[in-house]
Amino acid sequence: MAGTTVPLVLGRARNERVASTIYFLRRNPRMIVGGAIVLAWLFLAAFAPIIAPFDPIKVNVIESLEPPNSTHWLGTDDLGRDVFSRVLWGSRISLSVGLISVSIGLLVGTSLGLAAGYIGGKFDLLIMRGVDALLAFPALILAIAITSALGPQIQNAMIAIGIVAIPAYARLTRGQVLAVRARDFIVAARTIGCSPLRIVMRHIFPNVMNALIVQATLSTAFAILAEAALSFLGLGPQPPYPSWGQDINYSQRYLANLKWWMSVGPGVAIFTAVFAFNFLGDALRDALDPRLRRSA
Amino acid sequence: MIRYILRRLLLMIPVAFLVTIGVFVLARISPVDPVLVFAGEERDPVQLEAIRHQLGLDQPLPIQYVAWLTHALQGDLGRSFQNHQRVAEAIIERLPATLELGAAALLISVSFALVIGVVSAVKRNSAIDLLSTGVTLMGVSFPSFFLGVLLILLFSYVIPGRIFPPGGYTPLTTDAGQNLRYLVLPAVTLATASLALNLRQVRSSLLEVFGLDYMRTARGKGLREGTIITRHALKNALIPVVTLVGIQVGAIIEGAVITETIFSWPGVGRLVVQAIPSHDYPVVQGVVLVSALSFMLSTLLVDVLYARVDPRISFESAA
Repeated sequence: MAGTTVPLVLGRARNERVASTIYFLRRNPRMIVGGAIVLAWLFLAAFAPIIAPFDPIKVNVIESLEPPNSTHWLGTDDLGRDVFSRVLWGSRISLSVGLISVSIGLLVGTSLGLAAGYIGGKFDLLIMRGVDALLAFPALILAIAITSALGPQIQNAMIAIGIVAIPAYARLTRGQVLAVRARDFIVAARTIGCSPLRIVMRHIFPNVMNALIVQATLSTAFAILAEAALSFLGLGPQPPYPSWGQDINYSQRYLANLKWWMSVGPGVAIFTAVFAFNFLGDALRDALDPRLRRSA
Repeated sequence: MIRYILRRLLLMIPVAFLVTIGVFVLARISPVDPVLVFAGEERDPVQLEAIRHQLGLDQPLPIQYVAWLTHALQGDLGRSFQNHQRVAEAIIERLPATLELGAAALLISVSFALVIGVVSAVKRNSAIDLLSTGVTLMGVSFPSFFLGVLLILLFSYVIPGRIFPPGGYTPLTTDAGQNLRYLVLPAVTLATASLALNLRQVRSSLLEVFGLDYMRTARGKGLREGTIITRHALKNALIPVVTLVGIQVGAIIEGAVITETIFSWPGVGRLVVQAIPSHDYPVVQGVVLVSALSFMLSTLLVDVLYARVDPRISFESAA
């Protein structure tokens, strides 16, 4: 009897979850739009080697500076490289820098915030003064300073943008920990002898999750924009490898000749990717955390 | 009030101290030997060692830090490796251009944000409101360097007559008209991102204030709508906008980095970008330090101003 009841209950729970997810998405159309563009970019980045019609770094001077046409959808640059293929391959750089740097910020910032909020005292004071010092730097200036010190490479751009992202996660997590650490269920967990690590990971962390998801989505938009800015300044991946920001910078020398297509492709790519993450982040904030909505 | 400011200044000291450590360490973690950069073509080991000794780079790091900090506190940020100019002098020389660009951008941003934001909030859900919400959303996602490139393309090359030049600078004191022609495109580029943020803040603050009781009282008294908005609503709604604009003032150098590079504007932002490829660390270090400290000071000023304009904030609790 019990053997037949449990799957029935589980099945009903699963159906209810699917129904409530559909209901949730229908009430938040911005999430569908933002999510769809994000997924489209992730798909294009993952399958760029298959989708891209040309080698993004192969020089073909015979077809140089061609305007958009049926063969080269977004035209070619001065070396005859296909702009569309470079945009597709560039998405791999931009999205991977965005996602990895946000992961660095999320991991380090959340760990520091959890530890500072839970341990408190001098440890909290020390960590938060360090976070304040990081916040004292304007974000892009700090990213430029770190990347220029470490050298203009893609992994250094990831580290720089990741470090810049740390304070937001640390402050957010610490604030949430302070809000829940005195609540009854934490006191109860402590009373029954849960270890501090278990309390932090099993009882406090789930309460911070929603705010972190929103922050991670919004900071991915910032990270993509920051990577493009660093690349534009020559601090990202080096030529001939495609990168959106670097390609816009390179296109500047052909503006006087009205070769607009060299910059429009990567520019629109940056805009749509950043817009999608911002749109999705805003929708998630409204749906998951109304308190953040008010403070924004 | 003075006690509050002093307390905030005291609290700033440990953070500023950590900032100086950060700036110092950043310049030292580079894999490139600064002596080789400073020496240029010189590769004689004896000469290189002499330069290392003269620059104090043969000293242990803590001693180097103390020496650097002592000089920095006296306004001496070292000399550029490239042209051996004093860094403080180079920054001061370029600061007026950056401040002019920043001020023009803020003027555009704040005035447009106020006008469109008020209309947008008053005529909520109208076509203007929807348009301004769309512009806001696009403005925060639009990369400034792409916007700059598009503006150059349009106003310098596509539209005949070259309305605005693609880049360059003429000092205001030399030729005001020419200065304005050079200023328009970079100022609009720099203003766009902050315009989106300011517009959103003006609109949402006004909408929040519109729902409060005292607004209903003002309407109940039979006041004209214009008076209600300018005398009653804006006064309170602008408090968060002041905060936002204050932070933007502190971040002028940050915003100028990209814009000055696109438009060859000879400001502090371009100075740091030109210093990076040649590993001119004293310049990078100096600009980063100045921008961080000005950012911190503007945050403090915003807090003080905030406490001053909003009587609900007590100095004791705000501290």
